[in-house]
Amino acid sequence: MTVTVRSPVQDAELIARARAGDPAAERALYEAHVDRVYRLAYRLAGDDDRARDYTQETFIRAFERLREFRGEARFSTWLHAIALSVALNGLRQVKRLRRYETSLQDGQDVAGTGREAEPDLKRRLAEAIDALPEGYRTVFVMHDVEGYTHDEIGAALGVEAGTSKAQLSRARAKLRFVLADFAGEWVS
Amino acid sequence: MTTPRDDDALPERLLDAALHYHAPLPTPREEMWVAIAAARRRRHAVRRIARPLAWSLALAAALVLGIGIGRHGWLGGAPRGAAPVAAGAAPGAPYRVAAAQYLARTDVLLTDFRAVSRTGRLDPQFLASARDLLTTTRLMLDSPAGNDPHLQILLQDLELVLAQITQLPTEAVGRTELDLINQGLTQRSVVARIRAATPAAGAPARTIGAL
Repeated sequence: MTVTVRSPVQDAELIARARAGDPAAERALYEAHVDRVYRLAYRLAGDDDRARDYTQETFIRAFERLREFRGEARFSTWLHAIALSVALNGLRQVKRLRRYETSLQDGQDVAGTGREAEPDLKRRLAEAIDALPEGYRTVFVMHDVEGYTHDEIGAALGVEAGTSKAQLSRARAKLRFVLADFAGEWVS
Repeated sequence: MTTPRDDDALPERLLDAALHYHAPLPTPREEMWVAIAAARRRRHAVRRIARPLAWSLALAAALVLGIGIGRHGWLGGAPRGAAPVAAGAAPGAPYRVAAAQYLARTDVLLTDFRAVSRTGRLDPQFLASARDLLTTTRLMLDSPAGNDPHLQILLQDLELVLAQITQLPTEAVGRTELDLINQGLTQRSVVARIRAATPAAGAPARTIGAL
């Protein structure tokens, strides 16, 4: 993954032009930030359609509210706060819809009973990450998978960096516990 | 609480496996940009049309409803036998009126859905109305109406039902899909709850509290 470090000055100039109605500046802001937003949306949603929806909605809202951006934080932090809000709200709705549909199925189709062959590490890990509480999963995905710093995560989620660290630590502990039967594979 | 340390990193093998978690596809930059531009144009146009229309409808309805409240004590505002509320003194903001109108439209659509679903064919116009109501539901959820906890739960249920309906094809709709939606409507008493939340505009005029 290539991470392009952008200077806040570059963003500030583009933001000023975008506020003045320059479509090229909007496009430049989009080009500069879309990769990280889409990657994060995809990691959280696990689905291309939803990742696109969340990314698009993020930029639509960002451009609509650009006048509210006061420049106290970096533009990318502000944008990520919007992206997380859009994605997490969207995923909560998906979860609610799934629960609703499951309750209507009246337990007719029972989920996999685990009688298949022993799942491999990647699959078990993916299931374990999916099962983490929302806050733990978000921090784990952002930090350990996508490489965000605790400061960035804290700012985007509106929490202290220490809270992000604590949640990551708990997420890792849970994953270690759930995947304890694989310990032999990583203890060398 | 112990201070969390960052030296509790997961083993490398596990971290490598984590990189495969929901591994993203290449960013569809151009397609998303086109979709963003189209959505912004659409929203802009809708806002330009909807704002004055919504306000004029809301104000007209507020007037009618205000008179109704004054005459018939609707919305449970005044206890039976209490002094009449002055005509035009609607206690709710315009969004309450908009909510009442929206609920009435949803009631009609869902009642129609039950009838239409027996044939297994859905009129494109019916689906267009459902899509329109779904958009309104989302706007309502974001409006002050969504702050009312009872209305919020009802709106969330309606959002789910309408989202399911709008995803149906116009022809040869599967029986199971229709049954599933109808079961949901029945089990969650959706229509009954809409009616409970809607002022009885079509009910015979009562003279409770009126002159």
